[in-house]
Order: sequence, then C-alpha cells, then structure tokens
Amino acid sequence: MSLFLQQIINGLTLGSIYGLVALGLTLVYGILHIPNFAHGALYMVGAFMSYFFMVDLGAHYWIAMAGSAAVVAVLAILCERLVFHPLRHSPPIHDKIAAIGILLFLEAVVQMFWGSDFRRMSSPFTGILNFDGLIIPEQRLLIIAGAFVLVVALQLFLRKTMTGATIIAMAQNRDGAFLVGIDANRVAMMTFAISGMLAAFAATLYAPINLVYPAMGHLVIMKAFVIIILGGMGSVPGAIVGGMIIGFAEALGGFYISTSYKDIIAFGLLVLILSVRPQGLFAKGAH
Amino acid sequence: MKIAKKLGRAVAAATLGMSLSVGAMAGEVSIGFTGPLSGGAALYGENTLSGLRMAVAEINAAGGFDLNGEKTTINLIPLDDRYSPAQAATNAKRLKQESNVSAVFVPHSGGIFALQDFNEKDNFLVMAYSSVPSITEKGNSLTVRIPPTFDGYVKAFTDYALEHQGNKLGMGGATHEYAKIWSSMVKKEWESKGGEVVADTPMDYNKSADFFTGVSRIIAENPDVMFVGGASEPTGLVVQQARQMGFQGGFIVMDQAKIDEVAQVAGGLDMVEGAIGVVPLSVYETPAAQDFIKRYQAEYDKMPGSEAAYNYLALHALVEAMDATESTDPKTIRAAIGDALKNMDDSKNPYEVTEVTENGGFVTETTLAVVKDGEIVQVEID
Repeated sequence: MSLFLQQIINGLTLGSIYGLVALGLTLVYGILHIPNFAHGALYMVGAFMSYFFMVDLGAHYWIAMAGSAAVVAVLAILCERLVFHPLRHSPPIHDKIAAIGILLFLEAVVQMFWGSDFRRMSSPFTGILNFDGLIIPEQRLLIIAGAFVLVVALQLFLRKTMTGATIIAMAQNRDGAFLVGIDANRVAMMTFAISGMLAAFAATLYAPINLVYPAMGHLVIMKAFVIIILGGMGSVPGAIVGGMIIGFAEALGGFYISTSYKDIIAFGLLVLILSVRPQGLFAKGAH
Repeated sequence: MKIAKKLGRAVAAATLGMSLSVGAMAGEVSIGFTGPLSGGAALYGENTLSGLRMAVAEINAAGGFDLNGEKTTINLIPLDDRYSPAQAATNAKRLKQESNVSAVFVPHSGGIFALQDFNEKDNFLVMAYSSVPSITEKGNSLTVRIPPTFDGYVKAFTDYALEHQGNKLGMGGATHEYAKIWSSMVKKEWESKGGEVVADTPMDYNKSADFFTGVSRIIAENPDVMFVGGASEPTGLVVQQARQMGFQGGFIVMDQAKIDEVAQVAGGLDMVEGAIGVVPLSVYETPAAQDFIKRYQAEYDKMPGSEAAYNYLALHALVEAMDATESTDPKTIRAAIGDALKNMDDSKNPYEVTEVTENGGFVTETTLAVVKDGEIVQVEID
C-alpha cells in the first residue's frame, strides 16, 4: 500500500511542476495566441537566478525565490516589449521563430556566464518524512503545497480583482475587451510577467531536488506543450488537470509497467484524449 | 568603367591577401574536435575539450614542434555536434575539407561509429574517446581508442560486489546506447557468476526530469547492490534518492560516472558508501597525475576528470608522433603513436600509458576504487 501511496506522491510532485510551467504557457497562449517556445528558457533562467541569489549572494531560499520571480517577470516583459509586440501585425510564424530565437539566446547567455556545469542548489528543507514506510522528502511536500497555493492565488487574482478580470476578458473576446476600453498593452505585459513568475516559482521549487544547468528547460517545456494541448490551449483548469494527468501517468506507468515506457504512456494518453476531444479537455472551441 | 576597374583591383588585392594569409599559415597543423558543446551533455564535451586545449597551449607556448625543420604550431578547431552522430559526421567532413585536419577527436561512441564509416576513405585519424569495445574490434585502420575498454571493469566490478556485498542486483542503468551495452554485459556477467538480477529498470538519465519512480521500483525488490550510471551528476541524484528511500547496499557505478563527482551531487562520500567504480583521477598518487592535476587546477580552477587527462595525453602523443615521423599523414602517425607514448615526457602522460594494441587501443591498467568508511580507496584487481 505504501508503495502505491509513494507513487501518488511522485505523481503529485511531477504534476505540480508540470502544471505550473504549463499554466504560464497557457496564459500567454490564451491571450496573445503565441506558442511561447522560450518559456522553458524562462524556467531555466528562474533556476539560475535563484541559484545566484542563494549561493552567490547568500540570500534565504524564500527571498531568492521572490527575487528570481521578479527578475524573470521583468525579463518576460522585455521579451514581450522588444520582440512579440513589434511582431503583432506579422504572420504567426514570425512569433514562433522569434520565440525559438529567444530560447537559443537565453540559453547561450546563461552558458556564457555560468558555464555548462551541473549545479546543485540546496533548500533549507532537506529533511525526510517517513510515515510507516511511505517516504516523503520535505522539498517534495513543499512543491505540492507551493503549487497548490500558487494555483489558488492565481485563481483569486483572475476572478476577484479588476486587473485579473481584464486578462480573462482579453482571453474571452479580444474585440469586446477593446470596446470596453481595456488596454491591450498593459494586459499583454501583465500576462507575460505572470507567466514568467510562475516559471521562476516552479524552477525554484524544483531545483533543490534536481540539477541546475542551461539545458534544464528542455525537459519540462516538452511536457508543458503536451499538457496545454491535452488540457485545451489557453485553458487554466486544463493546464492544471493536464499537468496532473501527465504526472500521474509517468509515476504510475513508470512504476507498474516500465520506466522505459513512461513517455509512451503519457503520449498514448494524449493521442487517446485528442481522438475523443480534439479541442482538448477544457477548451470551449478549437482555436 | 572606372568603378569596374577599381572593383577589379580590390578583388585582386583581396585574393592576393587571402593567398598570402594561407601562406602564413604554413607552419601550422590543424586538429579537429567534434563533441557536445551545447545542450544537456555540454559539460562533458567542454571537459574533454579542456584537456585538448591545455595540451595545445603547452605545445604552442613552447613555440610549436619541429616538422621537417620548421617550427609548427597547433590549431585546434572545435565544432559542436550536440551529441548527434549525424552532426558529428557533418562536422568531420567539414573539418577535413576546410582545414585538412589529420585527426579528429570525438568523445562519444555514436559519433565515433559515424566517422568510422568514411575516415579511411577521407584519410583522417579518429581519436576515439569512448570505452565501447567494438570501436577497435571492427578493425578500422585509422582509429585510436584513448580510454581502456569497459569489459575489464565489468568483470572486476561484479567480482568485487558479489564477494563483498551480496548477490541480489537491482539494475538502474541508463537508456543511452553506451549504457545499454554496459548494462547488458553487467547482467550477463552477474548471472553467469551465480548472482540474481531482481530488478531491471533503466532510466533516461539524459531526458528524465525525475528518477524517484524508477528508483522506488528497484528498492521495492530489496537488492543488495544497485547498478547505476550515466553522467556523474544525474547518477548522483539517483544515488541520493536511493539512500533517501532507505537503500543500505552498495553501488556498481558505470565508468561514465566518476565516484568523486557523484558524491558531490549526492551529498558527500557517506552517501556513496560501498560504491564500486573507476578510480577518479583525484585519487591517483603518481607524480605524473598529481603534477597534471596541479597545472589543470591553475588553468581551470576545478578538479580535472579522466576525460580531460586522457584527451590531454592523447593530443600530446599525437603531436609527438608527428614530430618523430616528420609527417602529418594519418597512417604514418597512427603507426608511430605507440613509440610516441613510450618516448613522451612523463609530465605529458598523467595515466602513464605506454602501449597501443594492434587495433589502436591505448593500454591502461584496469583499476577499481571502492568507497570505504567515507573514503575512496583503490583496490588491487587479481
């Protein structure tokens, strides 16, 4: 039984990280209809920033996380202002090429400053809880709790505040939003900032049980794209549920079937769900 | 008309300049490198390259070597292949055509096999840094294998583990080609010696974001020994997670991972107690090795691994062979590399390799290290 619960915990941890990364991706897509391939690079920069604040400047874990979120948010806004905004009247393919360009650029910059070494970043939560054979390292518990808090906070922001409502309005109907006087620039910048912050939070939560290196974003961004396609492009609940589906498929499939097949299981699920619901689980209509 | 004339003159001058600069490069020999310099394996590629760079810097700082009475310097041309065999092949073609290199260093088996398809025809030496036995077994006449083959390790490691740690093995190897060959040899060896393989859960050390699932699957079978290994750092994560889940036994560590680097990630040597692996360079006590470590640290400010040291000595041997034969012809160098290793100054040979097999493999003693009471100890192999 504890083995099964162990896999549930693993699935929750993975699902939380995937979900947070996918959330940022889906928010940007929902509003600007840009598949932001550079999102994985923002995630990576988030981890490096936390590493920088913690190891080089000696800041506390939480402060490092906040600092990293701020830096990545600014970076995301810069991406929007300098790259995506000038391209707003271009064909969609230009956005995609630009996104890949940002991805390569950020990776090269980080590699230039920090080199390609694998780094370890330790958080203050290194203890291991043992419930009668069920082993949960504290950091993993923190990931699950952290993701939950962030998702709730994001929901409250989107549903209960005026600024959040403008984002939703833009996602629902662009023209309608313009007609009631919503400032598209402001919403676009804010969306990018939120997506960058989520990526930085996810990276900082996950980094202590993983390695920090310039190519670390590749692993999660692939999954995040699968998740937002699965959950419906632009759908917030879709990203969360999709993240959990992939996380659990990897954990349970990897344990009970085979670790070599865990990706096949995840992608098999994608095929299955898309053949029943081509628009994804939660999208109202295909874009 | 005037403009056309001016243009013509400019072109003529440029061409002349170009031919002049080619002339100026006469006292220079190009050596190629293709390996991962970006992406997930970038660190490995850069470590390999650092050894080569250090050797080149030493040779050039001394004014180069003597080639037919002319002082000749080395021009090392590194190209990035992101670990892809196809890209390695393209790079090698380019190195040969653009720079006429006589040798190309490649640090991964996929790339090596790709280059071996055409290196004899295109006439360049493959300096192979990989322990896969079939690299030299195929009989390619222009291949030099730098590290020892791993079949010796497989035998020694399994012998030690069976004798000291128990006979239930949990396999947590990796899914890349090199690791698959290693795993299958370990499994065969283990079972032929009467051991039992209780779990076989290969994990994707390069692409997986998390190993908890795979590790818990192995631990659930209660093994005495775990086989692990990919690059050192992810291997460290696997080891750490195994310990977190309460695993008490030993580890057989594939030679790609170095025990000291694994320990760094896993959280100290206590975490890797009972690990069996290759002897990390840092533990070598020979003056040649210690001297190399000192110079490397002065240059790069970190502990060198075997990939730096092996490639360092291989490049020195290569140039020594050019020097001795007064030639850059790959066949001639290949034939002379054994003597070059013997005659080379000790400071250039941290592993004290003195021989090359007929197939082109450097002969190095198989070594084994084990972590005992929080220390890496070298163990004699009988």
